[in-house]
Parts: sequence; C-alpha cells; structure tokens
Amino acid sequence: MKPKSPVALPDPVIPSLADPDGFYEALLDAHSGLSHDESVAYNARLVLILAHQIGRQEVLMQSLALAKA
Amino acid sequence: MKKTKSSQYAAVQHTNGYEFSQGSGYTLPEYDAVIPDAVKSGEIEHHRILIVGGGLTGLTLACSLAQLGVKCVLLDEDNTVGVKGASSRGICYTQKSLEIFDKLGIYERIQAKGIQWSVGRTFAGQDEVYNFDLKAQGNFSLSEQPAFINIQQFYNEGFLAERIFELGHAQIRWNNRVTAFSIENQVATFSIATPEGEYKATADFIVDATGSRSPFHDWLKIEKTIKKGDDRWCIADVRFNTHPPKERHTWIEAPFNDNRAVWQHLMADDVWRIDYQMAPDADPAYVSSETQVRERLAKQFGAETKVDIVWVGPYAYRSECVNAMAAPAGKSEVFFIGDSAKVVSPFGARGGNTGIADADNLAWKLAAVVQGRASRELLQSYHAERHEAAKTNVQVTNRTARFLRPAEGIERIFRDATIHLAKKHLFARSLVNTGRMAVANPYSRSPITAPDLPQSHSVQNVSFQWGNQHIGHLNDLLRWADGLPLLLLWHAPQSHMASLRKWARAGRVRTVYVGEPMGTLPASAQPARFKETIQDPDGRIAKACGFASAAGWALIRPDSYLAARGAGLDIPTVALALARLQGASRSGAPV
Repeated sequence: MKPKSPVALPDPVIPSLADPDGFYEALLDAHSGLSHDESVAYNARLVLILAHQIGRQEVLMQSLALAKA
Repeated sequence: MKKTKSSQYAAVQHTNGYEFSQGSGYTLPEYDAVIPDAVKSGEIEHHRILIVGGGLTGLTLACSLAQLGVKCVLLDEDNTVGVKGASSRGICYTQKSLEIFDKLGIYERIQAKGIQWSVGRTFAGQDEVYNFDLKAQGNFSLSEQPAFINIQQFYNEGFLAERIFELGHAQIRWNNRVTAFSIENQVATFSIATPEGEYKATADFIVDATGSRSPFHDWLKIEKTIKKGDDRWCIADVRFNTHPPKERHTWIEAPFNDNRAVWQHLMADDVWRIDYQMAPDADPAYVSSETQVRERLAKQFGAETKVDIVWVGPYAYRSECVNAMAAPAGKSEVFFIGDSAKVVSPFGARGGNTGIADADNLAWKLAAVVQGRASRELLQSYHAERHEAAKTNVQVTNRTARFLRPAEGIERIFRDATIHLAKKHLFARSLVNTGRMAVANPYSRSPITAPDLPQSHSVQNVSFQWGNQHIGHLNDLLRWADGLPLLLLWHAPQSHMASLRKWARAGRVRTVYVGEPMGTLPASAQPARFKETIQDPDGRIAKACGFASAAGWALIRPDSYLAARGAGLDIPTVALALARLQGASRSGAPV
C-alpha cells in the first residue's frame, strides 16, 4: 500500500488473487466456443459486472489508467 | 436574429386567448406594438437595465425585477409569446422552476393548466428496463410544489407577460427588434427597429436573453465551447382519441422506430409530445414530412388510433456553453441568461429550467445593485454560480446523448451490454441513461456562500405555521423580504437584539423567529421579542435548510439559496455573511 496516497488503493504489483491459475482458466473457458463478436460482448458485460462488484470510483479510475499503461 | 417581414406589423389585436386549435397548432396571444417616444424625438434613451429577448428567461427576469419594484425594459422582436410556427418548445418544468413561478404569482395558473406526473418508465424492445416514481425519491415531498408539471412553454410565457402587466415597473416592448449594436467611447448603443421607425438606446446592465442564436456572441466576440453531433430527432406534438397513461415513457430501442429511441410525454390540452430518434444525419425535411410522421405514429399506437398533428419539427441537438456568463461592453456589462449562455440537448429538461434559474439568480442581485444596497462586485457571483450550473448541465446532457447515440463499435457494444444486464440486474439500471432530470444546481464555488458551507443549495418551498396556526410557505417570507436576505432564527438571546435591530433599521436583512408563540414559555425562558414569529412543528424548515442536528440560524437569499447557517447565533459570522450578499469579498470586508 502507498502510505501517502489519500485513498488506499490496492497495489497492482502485489498479487491479490487466491487462485490466479484457476481464475485465468475459468476466464478462458468462459470464452471458449464464443465467436469474436460474442466474446467482445461478453467482455463488455463482464467489465460492467466487475465495476459493480468493485464499487469504488477511485479504484475504477485507477484501473482504467492501468489498462492503458 | 429572426428576420421579420414588415407585413407582421399590420394592426395587431390584443387577445388573452391561447386556445388550442385542432390539428393546426395553437393560436397565440398577440400584443400591441410599443412605440417609444424616442422614435419621434430622436433622443437616445438610457436605461439602467435592458433585457433583449422575451422568451422564458427574459420574461422571468423582467417579472422578477418587476416584483422587486425595479424598473427595466424588455425588447421583444415580435408581438407574441412562443415562436411563430414553432409554438411548442419546452414542456417539462421542475419543482425549482415551479417554486420560482409561485414566488412570482403565476403558479396557480400553471397548476390549473398543466399536467402533474412523477412516474417514468424506460423500455428496451418489448421489455420494461426500469421505472421510477419521483414522489418516492429524495426530498421532493418537502416542497409545496410537485416534482414536475408539464405544460407548453408559451403558456408560462403568456402568464409571465400578463403578470408583468399587473406589476408594472417592467415594460415589455413588443415589436422592438435590435438591429445593431456598437461600442464607441466606452458607450454601448443599440439600434432598435419598431413598426414606426428606429430609435437608439444605451443601458448600464444589458441582459442577453436572445436564445440559442445570440447575435451578442458575434458582437462581443464571445468565446464558447461547442459540441455538435450527428444525432437527429423528430418531435411530433399530437392529440389522440385514446389516452395513454400520465407517465413519462422512454424507449432506448423502440421496435416501432427501427430500434431507435422514442420519448412519450403528456402536456396541457391533452397534447402528447412524441420524440423520435432518427437515423444519424437523416434529412430533416423528409423525416418530418406528414406522411412519415403519420406512419411512425400508426406503428406506435396502432392504425386505428386517430391522430391530430398539432406541430412537428426536426431537431439536431448540439451543446454549447459560453466561457463566461458576463462580458464587458464599454462601461456597461452584458449578462448571458438561458440559451444565450448555454445550449443543451433536451434530455432531462435541463434547458428552460436552468434558464429560469439563471433569471432568478440574476434578478435579486441586479435589484440590490440598482437599488444601492450592494456593490457591483455582487454581480460577479452570477458567473461563479450559474457557470458552474451551466457546465454541469452541459456535461450531464452530453453523457445522456452519448448513451442514446453511441458511436458504432465499442460504444454500441457497451450499451448493448448495459441493456442486457439491466433487464436482469438492479445494479445495471443505474447505468441506463435516458436523461437525468434537472435539479436546482448547488453552488460549490460561490464567493457569496459562507466558507464553512461545502455548497449552497436551494431551500425548498416548505410549509410552516404562522402564529395564528394558519399554514404559510417559505415563498411567503421571501416575498415579504422583498429582495432582502431572510434571516431565520431558532434561538435569539436578548444580548443580540441590538445588532439585529440595527440591521433591520438599515434595511440589510429581514428576520423571522422560528419558535414557540410568545407567552407560551415561562417569562425567564422567553426569547427576545420578535414581531415576526413562525412555528416549524415538523421541522420542515430546519430540514430544508440542511440542519442535521438542532437548528440555530440560517440566512436565505432572495432566490431561496442558503447563504450561511450556524448552530448558535454568532453576530460577527452573520455580519460577514450579510456583507458577502452585499458584494463584499469572501474575506468579508464590509461595503
């Protein structure tokens, strides 16, 4: 955690997933059998659901920036 | 400005009727042209306040000034309210606008003519995605006025004009069209055409209420931020032989409109406004042809439904916002209000309603300066407050426009995802954006708000009890205060009476004591004696002022925005707050 940050954000360097390989596999499995267009639509729904689950505007803004970098 | 044919100046007859004329639009009232003496004498007129444009905002400002006993002249280029040939414009008036109209004395007429609604439903395809009832939301129920009333804009304009005739002070000059504007030797001069000739006028305070194609922007080289889109809509005002529910219905994707958006809203005279989103860059003449409109209506309401078309118009939405709400013109100052300051898409009714708020904000400040109760610095707060509101309203409506007309590609994909999820999951409904309804914008960067208030908000028109148990409303107190700030006191120790009396005598503030009627408390516990005492048994005033715990004092501006509040009465703090409302800087140097 960055101590001087006004809002405590999770540091992307430190892994937070309990079972990273399991998640990655499930993500790929979710897409298997989908066409390219279906996959894109699926990802769009997934992003919106994850945003809801996170529910913190500042974490979402940081995530949007991280994905660009 | 609109070019007017000289034939328009043929003899006009005065009528008060705005009778609905079936199938062919409305018959608007017509007023007699006003020919000032300056046309014959050739003298250059001088006015303290000159308002150019007699639309909703110009008339609201003139009416507000008239109510405060301030002289002003309003120039209107034609001899009627509404726009000839385009008589239906804004239809949806917010609680804040209705409160302002109540203060001005025309609310009862609007209430009698208009349609109240609070339920909105949003559909995608055959499915209802979500609905809302404004009555169950937030603080709407605190006010005497409902959340919304729908009514054709020209009715409100007509009511305002007639109220101005009653009040006097403000003169509406029908058929007075500004043809030129020049600044020489620091003096701004207007050339004004009337049916009987031209005259010239100058003014100290000029208000540009000319609307979305303001000529002042070119004259004064005004900088603005503009955004144009390719979204096209066709608006049809119609009357049916059936009666749809008194609700706001919106389709994001309407099966009867090639899966594009549709709006359905009721207004007075049993007229419905149906807005159809057209294909991007559609040809306006084609989409608004009667055959096309009737075809769409038949698809939506069934071929057997009989339809009278009252009015049809194509629209291309854009957003535009001046970078400053006021500009110098020589020694004079020009203020932009309503559409001359900002133009937004109509989503959420954020156009006319914020224009009315512009006028309400500017009126008491101009009155205080012209009547010598405040310095000109007070007028700077108009930009600070209403530019913040304008920018917010532009941003909010642009976001809606982007949801309703997503760019092809990923924007369309995200919208599809949102609709897909919203049909099943509550959380995704908050992302569905068919317009965020207009609110009284709070001011967070105002130089005339007490520094310890995070923002200044509008205090609703709540009810209270007079000493005789009769019901009164905040607007009664604001009208009584007559342009002065209103100080509400829940506690008033005797030791502060000298200061309060001094302010009252100097005409700086009107004070009302909120508490028990005199004589009901033991003598030892009795507060200072006040002539004006009200009771707030349900704590509605305290709640509307934003007190979380016990209320102490609140200073309310003539536009019913909160200027300052506190727990215990502290004379120096109140003095600073009063000084700010007289144009002193935020540090509070007295004027």
